[in-house]
Amino acid sequence: MTHTPLNVCVLIKQVPDQSAKAGINPDGTIDRAKAKRMLNPFDRYALQAALNMKARHGASVTAITMGPPPAVEILYEALAHGVDRCALLTDRRLAASDTWATSYALWKTVQHLGPFDLVFCGLQTTDGDTAQVGPEIAERDNLPQVSYCEDFRLEDGAVVARRVIEGGYQWVKMRLPGLMTIANAYEPLKYKTIGGVKRVQRLQRDEAERAQTILTLSLDDVHADPAECGLKGSPTIVAKTEKVSEIGGSCVIHQGQPVARMVEDVLQSTHILEFTAHDRVCASQSA
Amino acid sequence: MTESAPANPPEPLAEIITPSNKEVVIVAEQVDGEIQPVTLELLGAGRDLANKLSGRLSCFLLGHQLGDAPQLLIAHGADRVYVADHPELKDYRSLPYKRVIVDTVQSWELPPHIILLGSTTTGRDLAPRIAAALKTGLTADCVELDIGPYEHTNKADPAKVGHYPGCLYAIRPSFGESLKARILGPWNNPQMATARPGVMIPLPADTQRSGEVMAVPVALDDADRRVEILEIVREVNKSVNLTEADVIVAGGYGLNSAEGFKLLQQLADCFENACVAASRKAVDAGWIPYQNQVGQTGKTVRPKVYFACGISGAIQHRVGMQKSGLIVAINKDPDAPIFTFAHHGIVGDLYHVLPELIAQLKSPKAASAARTVCAVG
Repeated sequence: MTHTPLNVCVLIKQVPDQSAKAGINPDGTIDRAKAKRMLNPFDRYALQAALNMKARHGASVTAITMGPPPAVEILYEALAHGVDRCALLTDRRLAASDTWATSYALWKTVQHLGPFDLVFCGLQTTDGDTAQVGPEIAERDNLPQVSYCEDFRLEDGAVVARRVIEGGYQWVKMRLPGLMTIANAYEPLKYKTIGGVKRVQRLQRDEAERAQTILTLSLDDVHADPAECGLKGSPTIVAKTEKVSEIGGSCVIHQGQPVARMVEDVLQSTHILEFTAHDRVCASQSA
Repeated sequence: MTESAPANPPEPLAEIITPSNKEVVIVAEQVDGEIQPVTLELLGAGRDLANKLSGRLSCFLLGHQLGDAPQLLIAHGADRVYVADHPELKDYRSLPYKRVIVDTVQSWELPPHIILLGSTTTGRDLAPRIAAALKTGLTADCVELDIGPYEHTNKADPAKVGHYPGCLYAIRPSFGESLKARILGPWNNPQMATARPGVMIPLPADTQRSGEVMAVPVALDDADRRVEILEIVREVNKSVNLTEADVIVAGGYGLNSAEGFKLLQQLADCFENACVAASRKAVDAGWIPYQNQVGQTGKTVRPKVYFACGISGAIQHRVGMQKSGLIVAINKDPDAPIFTFAHHGIVGDLYHVLPELIAQLKSPKAASAARTVCAVG
């Protein structure tokens, strides 16, 4: 059993808001300079998981992000929700990092700020969609992992977690320290706390306190090898992109008629009825 | 510009062959000894890659009491199956599976050329651990795989400049875009990717095919047992496998609430082999679990009939369902992109359209049509 309070961290990322039209080029690519940015939606669940550790077990929570300086916005957001301290890993040499290089830089940051009993990540980001950074950090740090976690509790110094598997779920028990990626079936992020919001207001006025609460770190600060980061440290590159060929254009539109008529038209001009449940339909027939 | 000096002819790039045993390795998925469809799909894609490399297609199969599963993998295209049969490997766990695969690969004189896994909850859990342990790149959720040459001319890293002939083309839809990105990592082997279930085409089983079955050693220690499985629940009755359903009733953000999925379930209940699915926005809203998500970050499906209810038809969703046999879209917004690629579109409130659809499917008229089908069947 651990007697000292738990130390947990949550890795979060600022991503382009794909639901906002601003910043989306006509060809569908993202203009990152213009795009509205937000906290990665999956990370909201990871943040809540970390905050639950604070509320239920008195854990100290550190939020870590890697990105350009404006990414500090999501750290303020995390503080308003109640995390204790934050770190922004920002360094030009991180540009064009793939998941391997990203996991390296974040692992070094986690090592620098840790040790942590638990590392929380969102299941994946909405811009990269790989779900790889969490497990890669776990492997680098020799941590056990529970990915796709939907629910969990602490029990006898271990985590008992429910995780998604194909066609169902499983309950697992993980010894600490460990890493978890939190799926979106977990509790949604709660409201900001009054204390948290006031703290953010204070930090925005008080530079000294801000510097203590939100650490700004470079690769050198976390003792990361620049050769392992950025484009140079990335074993993969995006070599080519092509437009997905347009399909369709032959949709039969049913519009402006009574609903019953439109539904009937669709059923008559398709083979949908072939797939109906025979017994059910037959039963209603004989009834 | 004044008269320019004649340009020097570009120097031919040196050909760089990174060491490999020319092997394409698939990591199989099994549940209670039963090989999962995604593995057969990967074997189909892997066979093509191995042929282009003039190399071997092999398969890792981990589990316990695997019966004739290795023969099934050979029948579907594997030349060699590495079998780790051990009670502790019965059900998938990250650390023991990673340990066995990484130990084995590292014991080989040369690394495999390519390692592929399915982008399932298992593959996406295991692949990054293997990639990190083998210090190599990994591309997620590919929809196409190919082998081809690549010329790297970026001099930022001079050692990398050159012509790479046997490069894995890992092609995936890129974020939020109507684009496909080709991701390459030819600088070291293995080159790794996960491929989305339901996309690659399995080869028909050929029981005459012969192949090798080789046992691989299993050496686990206490550190590999840090995660223990307490209970496995398979919701077989609750959800038909999305990738095997004939009819999919999918809901999007236009449902406005989790309640809407009850109505979708009623529609699905009208069919023999149907299930409910969702777009990402509905999943993100917490109305339905992630397993039901269709699209770029969910499953790729090709049912015979796909009902898209309150789904706008963003590219991320489209890539997961556009190969459905018949797409029927129901949406209030006549300008929704879904109406550009569905086969039939009903412009209207799904809360009016779906009850009517359910009623008509249950009507005697529908029953008689279905009975005709029964009689034919």
